Amino acid sequence: MSDVVFLITLLGAAAGAGVLGAILGLGGGILLVPILTLFFGVSLPYAMGASIVSVIATSCGAAAGHLTSGLANIRLGLFLALFTVTGALAGASLVGIVPPRALQALFGLALGYSAFTTIRQLHVEVTESLTTDPLAQRFALEGVYHDPALGRDVAYRAVHVRAGAAVMFGAGLLSGLLGIGSGAFKVLAMDTFMRLPMKVSTATSNFMIGLTAAASAGVYFGRGDIHPVIATPVALGVLVGSYGGTRLIGRLRNTTVRKLFLPIVIYLAVSMLLRGLGVLK
Amino acid sequence: MSDVERAVSRVLLLGGSLAVVLMLAGLVTLQVRAARTAHPLDVAHVVENREAGRSIDVFVSLPQLARALGRRPPDPVAIVTAGIVLLLATPGAALVVALIGFVRVRERGYAGICAALLAALVCGFLLNVAG
Repeated sequence: MSDVVFLITLLGAAAGAGVLGAILGLGGGILLVPILTLFFGVSLPYAMGASIVSVIATSCGAAAGHLTSGLANIRLGLFLALFTVTGALAGASLVGIVPPRALQALFGLALGYSAFTTIRQLHVEVTESLTTDPLAQRFALEGVYHDPALGRDVAYRAVHVRAGAAVMFGAGLLSGLLGIGSGAFKVLAMDTFMRLPMKVSTATSNFMIGLTAAASAGVYFGRGDIHPVIATPVALGVLVGSYGGTRLIGRLRNTTVRKLFLPIVIYLAVSMLLRGLGVLK
Repeated sequence: MSDVERAVSRVLLLGGSLAVVLMLAGLVTLQVRAARTAHPLDVAHVVENREAGRSIDVFVSLPQLARALGRRPPDPVAIVTAGIVLLLATPGAALVVALIGFVRVRERGYAGICAALLAALVCGFLLNVAG
């Protein structure tokens, strides 16, 4: 394959990952790392480095678009990022102390439960009757966005903030301990626990993943894992794709986004459980 | 959309776009230079493993990068790397803008959260790239 064909194909794959990342609130690592290693023959360290670039580029493109459309909630993102970053720092310091397999099995089960809950509320467009959470009131964890798919404004307010924050801390812990992204956990914490609209959850996750990834990006840069010839087409493709994805999500219903998200949760639950049980390496 | 959200959105888009422009300019220059020599880049081979990857000088610290950018003509890989560093720093820049915005509207709680996140982020980044 010539250099030009290789780079253009990679650009296309990255753009696709960017579109999906912007809709599902993921950094694209879950999609991009297998694509890079299996189809492009990229070594795992460089694929992981490209994944970090992809997460930050997705966050830049998608969060910029989502903040403009009102889907991403900056206060919610900052409030929850505090727990994710604290968890990540705690996780990094627990490497070698806490057995990662036990934690993976635990999170596999938690994701399995989340998948079950997601299936149960698969057809719930927006949770209407909400109780009042004092923390949500104090930190203004609420908002209104215009939903073109429903043709009306949707008001929302977070509930079960403590539970959501605990899941965020756990997601950060897992990120720090295992060096994996945690976009899916962030979305689930907001959608399943805090009962926020799915589109607000994925859009806010897009804002948060950039902050979490930036905290660990120095590690990959310092190791030389962010290779220039891979990072460039990935960043360009993902940035353009994710910004385009923010235009697409407005036309989708919350239920559609949840249906697209479900296979990712099931895949993560099964793979994490199997790794935790030692079946997969 | 509040002023804080508007400012953060602009920084994210501007930082991301500028980073990608730099990276693209560097990569195109690298390709053109390689095409002129008897040693084409062969991207597919370069990314196969670390050994092949090191056939291109990869910068891993900010002082090393600053020195390479100071040379004339600038090293194309250094230009790409400058774009990468700009991209990695963009979420941090967005946090700075959010912090200023929240201080201006006197939302002390969120200004404090921004400051705490920024401190964690800057420490994490600098510890690894200060060289």
